[in-house]
Amino acid sequence: MKADLPAECSAVPVIEVQDLVKEFHGRVVTNGVSFKVYPGDTMIIMGGSGCGKSTLLRQIIGSVKPTSGSIKLFGEEITTLNEPELAKVRRRFGVLFQSGALLQSLTVGENVALPILEHSAVDDSIVELMVKMKLELVGLTGFEDLKPAEISGGMRKRVALARALALDPELLFSDEPTSGLDPVMTAVVDKLTQDLTRKLGMTALVVTHDMTSAFRIGTRMIALGTGSQQGKIIAEGTPAEISRHPDPMVQQFIKGEADGPIPLRLSKGDYLKRLMGVEANS
Amino acid sequence: MGPLRGQPFKWHPVFQQMIRIGVEAVPMASLTAFSIGLTLAMQGAHELNRMGAGMYVPNLVSVSLLRELGPMLIAIIVLGRSGSAVTAELGTMKVSEEIEALEVMAINPIRYLIVPRFLAMLVMLPILTVFGSYIGLVGGWTICHFALDMNTASYVSRAVEAAQLGDLYSGLFKSLVFAWLIITLACHAGLNVEGGAEGVGLATTQSVVSSLLAVLVSNAVLTSIFFFL
Repeated sequence: MKADLPAECSAVPVIEVQDLVKEFHGRVVTNGVSFKVYPGDTMIIMGGSGCGKSTLLRQIIGSVKPTSGSIKLFGEEITTLNEPELAKVRRRFGVLFQSGALLQSLTVGENVALPILEHSAVDDSIVELMVKMKLELVGLTGFEDLKPAEISGGMRKRVALARALALDPELLFSDEPTSGLDPVMTAVVDKLTQDLTRKLGMTALVVTHDMTSAFRIGTRMIALGTGSQQGKIIAEGTPAEISRHPDPMVQQFIKGEADGPIPLRLSKGDYLKRLMGVEANS
Repeated sequence: MGPLRGQPFKWHPVFQQMIRIGVEAVPMASLTAFSIGLTLAMQGAHELNRMGAGMYVPNLVSVSLLRELGPMLIAIIVLGRSGSAVTAELGTMKVSEEIEALEVMAINPIRYLIVPRFLAMLVMLPILTVFGSYIGLVGGWTICHFALDMNTASYVSRAVEAAQLGDLYSGLFKSLVFAWLIITLACHAGLNVEGGAEGVGLATTQSVVSSLLAVLVSNAVLTSIFFFL
């Protein structure tokens, strides 16, 4: 199993992030993040809301420029690439956005066909076959002619996954792939990710809140901190290592407890300080 | 799936935009141009008849429409109808991450979204302008024929005699400049939307207001250039 591979695996990492920092208007969102993802791995990035998971993902796919640090995809430094060079790297990966980000003016079938038509030269009949195959993978056969506005949020998410997989990418980025899906569909999407990574050698980086799904598909995990640990990696390891991690913040997150190091309620002193603006001025 | 294909450049989206920007604007542009031709002829007849020069109404309508009113009014119709639609569409795509999705699929949004709209506007606005000017002439004819008892042959011959080829060319040149201004400002506003629905609304208003000002000011500048040439 990939989870048992030694960290100093001889393979070249598919993703290599080094000392990544991102600041927005003086607020640090990503704080010195470093990690590597090897071929066939499913790396899970987890953490509380606002900890910078999606921003980290957007930096790795080249949508947001980091303030400093290095990001290598397939061994190529992407932070210094121009748009045409970045486009070449992007053809090798697929991205599933949190919102799906389907083109509303196109049908479901046309959305899935778009990357195939743009980046390959196969016949229309083959494209239609590929579209049907990808939609069948996510359980949406027969929905080709509907517009995204005519299907449910969960279905849109699955169409977006089919689009991300349209060109059989070597690497898949998923932002909350199972949010809005029912338990059966969540299991289907998880199984699909497992099959693609473990049987076909695809690499995946998944940002998720869904701990059941994360422990089901992940081979390695990273937890990002909030508050004083904002944007820092507070835990990294295999699912087994993460489940035994001593950090109470990590334990609170994976067990889904309301109170803990991430407090349900502020203390009276902290509450008054924040209310009166003392903390902001101190 | 076929219409989406066509490497290296896809013509289908251009034709699709030409229909949305140009063909679908025909009824509105026709009604406006016809009304303007009608009004121009009535106002012209009112003044010119007092000086005994009612026969020059076709000249007035023809020159005014080809040189000035045709290009400007049709541009105003198109910027209000299609310029705002382009900004709202691109702005909505920006806030719903569709443009970012295109980028990460290695599809250049400028080539995929902007170029078809740009080419469609550059082609369709001058065509609509010529079409609108002739519909305006029909409006003028309606007044001359039914209210001033001018026969059709005499109206046509006076209108054609008054309009020189240079008037048509200057009108066409103006409409090309207006098309460039309208689509550039509309796309710029759409691609730079920040925030959600409020941002889209603000960008659409900004696009219409700035396009309107740009059309009016550039019209004054171009008319001055043609006047002194």
